[in-house]
Amino acid sequence: MVGNVRFDFMHFMPYVYLPENQKEFRSLWVDFPNKYYDPERGHALYQRYLAELVLADTLGFDAIVVNEHHNTAYSMMAAPNLIAAAVIPQIKNAKICVWGTPPNLEYPNRLAEEYAMLDVLSNGRLEVAFPLGTGMEYWANPINPATARERYRESIDIILQAWTQDGPTSYYGDFYTYRYLNPWPRPYQKPHPPCYIVGTGSPETIELAAQLGFGYSSVFVTKQRALELNQQLRQRGAEHGHQIRPEQLPLGVIAYVAETKEKAEEEAIEHMRYFFEDALRTTPTFLAPPGYLSVDQLKKRAALADKLHGAFNFQNINESFFVAVGTADRVVEQLEEWGETMGTNHFNILGAIGNMPHWKVVKNLSFLAQDVFPRMRAHAAVERRVAAE
Amino acid sequence: MAPAAFPAQFKREVHTVNGVKTVVLTAGSGEPLVFLHGAGLWHGINFAVPWTEKFRVIIPFHPGFGESGDDPAITDTHDYVMHYLDLFDALGIDRLRLVGFSLGGLLAAKFAVEHGHRIDRLVLVGPAGLRDKAHPAPDLFKLPPEQIPSMLVTNFDVIKPYLPEKPDLDFMGDRYREGGMLARLWWEHPWDTKLPRYLHRLTMPTLLVWGEDDRLIPVQQAEIWRRHIPKADVAIFKGAGHLVLDEKREAVDAVQRFLS
Repeated sequence: MVGNVRFDFMHFMPYVYLPENQKEFRSLWVDFPNKYYDPERGHALYQRYLAELVLADTLGFDAIVVNEHHNTAYSMMAAPNLIAAAVIPQIKNAKICVWGTPPNLEYPNRLAEEYAMLDVLSNGRLEVAFPLGTGMEYWANPINPATARERYRESIDIILQAWTQDGPTSYYGDFYTYRYLNPWPRPYQKPHPPCYIVGTGSPETIELAAQLGFGYSSVFVTKQRALELNQQLRQRGAEHGHQIRPEQLPLGVIAYVAETKEKAEEEAIEHMRYFFEDALRTTPTFLAPPGYLSVDQLKKRAALADKLHGAFNFQNINESFFVAVGTADRVVEQLEEWGETMGTNHFNILGAIGNMPHWKVVKNLSFLAQDVFPRMRAHAAVERRVAAE
Repeated sequence: MAPAAFPAQFKREVHTVNGVKTVVLTAGSGEPLVFLHGAGLWHGINFAVPWTEKFRVIIPFHPGFGESGDDPAITDTHDYVMHYLDLFDALGIDRLRLVGFSLGGLLAAKFAVEHGHRIDRLVLVGPAGLRDKAHPAPDLFKLPPEQIPSMLVTNFDVIKPYLPEKPDLDFMGDRYREGGMLARLWWEHPWDTKLPRYLHRLTMPTLLVWGEDDRLIPVQQAEIWRRHIPKADVAIFKGAGHLVLDEKREAVDAVQRFLS
């Protein structure tokens, strides 16, 4: 692996107290009744989840990662910038990754401002990602899915202009008109915080990342597809004059470490089942509102949807996605192998899986930080020395 | 054997309108009768065959639907009015009889509001686009796609031959494409709030046709159209749903009589 290895801790902050009849609901997204949200239990969960993010920093994770979803028990982060703001004073070293607010769901100037605020608040430790937003977000927000990609492109232009050009400037687009684009504050980092595109591998978003020289993180795509996407991005990036660096290709991994393989599986699998069978459960229509996907992509995804949102099978999930559940030895081996094939040294670890209780999260993060990261960092340092000689 | 959705007597003409492939089905001879379809024409045009005995029947696919190409520049229903101005020029049509169904009913009404002098007679079949708070149309985007076909008719057998027997990726993809086009027009507002303000301009003889059991556009909305249009007759057909022309030959004949 090239360069420094980097480990992020990603939290989805799920609301886990589902009603007993939850299986009767076709989707835990969009129209899952919000009467099932109990704010008192929500408060306790926030306290716990924030503590887990802080713990990751204390243990030596390089970054914490939060993201945005609406109308769902999958996530209690409708506004991830609020979570970032809440943890920044408590997180001393780790980068703060908001990966991120879909730019279509806020006014672009306001998102530029909020991110700049977080960057200044954190002394330049912010990293951001620009997702288009899942199909589900377009059922929950008043934005047309059929023009979402054009609007998204324009929003990113506006944000980059706001960050890189001295204001006031103007912007006259198809969706937004800014007579005075002049956001205060400006980002701490110059020219702006590191940016990524997060996506499920639409050709349009890969091309956009390549054009802008952004990082790209694929989510919920198979291993094979993730590899193709990384290759495509490096190739298309180079054609646009951008050398995509390994750390720009964060690899999303579900990881759980315990004393033995059996114990790790016993402790993790039920929560993975919850994650895939329940938290991710939604309908094809919610996944693909009208015009959100090209017809070609819709047909391709109809096949994958069964794998991802159907009944849970640990073996299938293991084979299809980046899942490292086992002893520290095994997890080191798997991460290093994937880093090699995927051409990355950046691991975005989903270490609080589904409805996992606090003690398992603490155990998992501790094992990762104590038994996995130091060894991988040491291996990488040796490789760097060898490469230097 | 299932009937062909598009009977062989209809000839296919391919036009390029503002750079967009526009497929037009035509049959018969006589004065031109243009039919503007709804948000999809998979159920075919067999209903229109009797009209070909008296008229030159012209059925274009809207851009973004069926066999016509996509036009990403179309973002509202008025863009279709402009499209049809250009298409009628290409077809050499000056005056016409205009029949519009559902989405096509709204397009026909909007075309006739602006270019009434070209429309001899106007027929609106279960037209979409009115915002009737007392009798709201269900939000098409919220209906599960698999439920839509059965909501279109009272007798499912009428459309069954045109639907795939089992889930079909191509059929699903085609409908998804049309849904995307519809979203470009209607995601924010699935109606045209200013329409009633302009309907007084429909001074040509106008016939409103509705299926009594229309579950997509409630038949009660006919009264609002009738009230706003100076010379409108209303024909309501029992035992028919939204696809009243497909379900009731009497409705097809009534249109023919009105246009003759």
